[in-house]
Amino acid sequence: MSDGVKTILFATVLCVVCSLLLTMASTGLKAFQRENALVDRQKNILQAVGAVVPGQPYAAEDIKALYQASIQCISVSDEGRVLSAEAAPVNAMPLYLYLQDDQVKAYILPVDSRGLWGRIYGYLALDTDGSTVAGFSVYQHAETPGLGGEIENQWFQRNFVGKRIIDASGDFVSIGIAKGAVKNVIRQDLQPNYVDGISGATMTGKYLSEGLQDILQTYEPVSLHFRNQGMLKIPEKALVCQPPS
Amino acid sequence: MSTAVMKITRTETYRTVADALWQNNPISKQVLGICSALAVTVQMNTAIVMALALTFVVAFSNLIISLMRNVIPRNIRIIVEVAVIATLVIIADEVLKAFLYNISKQLSVFVGLIITNCIVMGRAETCAMSNPPYLAFVDGLANGIGYGSVLVGVSFFRELLGSGKLLGFQVVPQAFYDMGYMNMGLMLLAPGAFIVIGLFVWLEHALLNR
Repeated sequence: MSDGVKTILFATVLCVVCSLLLTMASTGLKAFQRENALVDRQKNILQAVGAVVPGQPYAAEDIKALYQASIQCISVSDEGRVLSAEAAPVNAMPLYLYLQDDQVKAYILPVDSRGLWGRIYGYLALDTDGSTVAGFSVYQHAETPGLGGEIENQWFQRNFVGKRIIDASGDFVSIGIAKGAVKNVIRQDLQPNYVDGISGATMTGKYLSEGLQDILQTYEPVSLHFRNQGMLKIPEKALVCQPPS
Repeated sequence: MSTAVMKITRTETYRTVADALWQNNPISKQVLGICSALAVTVQMNTAIVMALALTFVVAFSNLIISLMRNVIPRNIRIIVEVAVIATLVIIADEVLKAFLYNISKQLSVFVGLIITNCIVMGRAETCAMSNPPYLAFVDGLANGIGYGSVLVGVSFFRELLGSGKLLGFQVVPQAFYDMGYMNMGLMLLAPGAFIVIGLFVWLEHALLNR
């Protein structure tokens, strides 16, 4: 057997063995990983409304129980109506409600934004006044650690709490990420609509601002409903939203 | 007693282990693997998991490559080494994602980057390709532990000084903070890691040259 043939044969066998091992590891552990990712998402939803303290260790069972007890996911139409189970699910969008003693305390929008290196996934919680941000969390992103990756850190996420998505006259303006500290670079009257940016991560901030604007715009009918009429009426048989896979 | 010690210190296994742990420590003597050593040493938890992951990868890549050393075609040996290392790294990453999800999230890309860690490749080339499996495996283990010991040492000081905790538990009492003690923010940033690693390198050289 010539050297060339031997080399190709060796490489082929090695590739097959390696890919077999990787396939086994990937399929064998998938169930565990999926479970972890699910609990992590539930934890992030709870974190967005301040129901769990970030950085603190929680048992998976506690997160699940807390989620079960205080979060309800319903489907809303793009006009802001809550869809009942009987209605045809046209353009249904998921909306998470944070409940305490059967009272809606906040509503949570899933965030799926463009980032610099990949999608940014998280949650944005809004108070029932339909205009004040209750919290923001990120559970998956591919931004540069130390720069854009700071979006997953507490100091950045805490900035969102108490900011407003409407301007002084009550019109929708979304929430933006400033290029620097808000109090230095943003006009006084616009400061409630901006959060501090991350130095070295201008593009991440820009894309995330656009992403948040898109999400808030899409859910504006829901927010408008909260602003004008207060609580959403949840029908007895609300259409339960499909959790994203 | 002394003859028994002499016998042990003369074995090849002992020399391999001592070399990796001390005389030729991958971080503090050879200054390899610094990138990950900077990134994962803010907390002891992540440093320990990273050390275990790297030890697993370097020990088994050494073992597997050493077992195949006589049949690997010379002209593709680097590719073969990388393929073996990459497979082990991805398996380690998948296992962490399944069973230590939070730590795996904190380690983010750095487990994947073990593939490019010079220590793993270096041991495969210099040790595994020319030594029998047993010695190669021990060499891998010792190098992993040598790397891990510095990582854990650095993270001990960074976590203690930077956030007043060890393994996530508060060790600096509240009374100290009340009296005006403050955590050292520099330790949480990369420059803090550079300084601590630099001190470790200095310590090792000073002790070796004594």
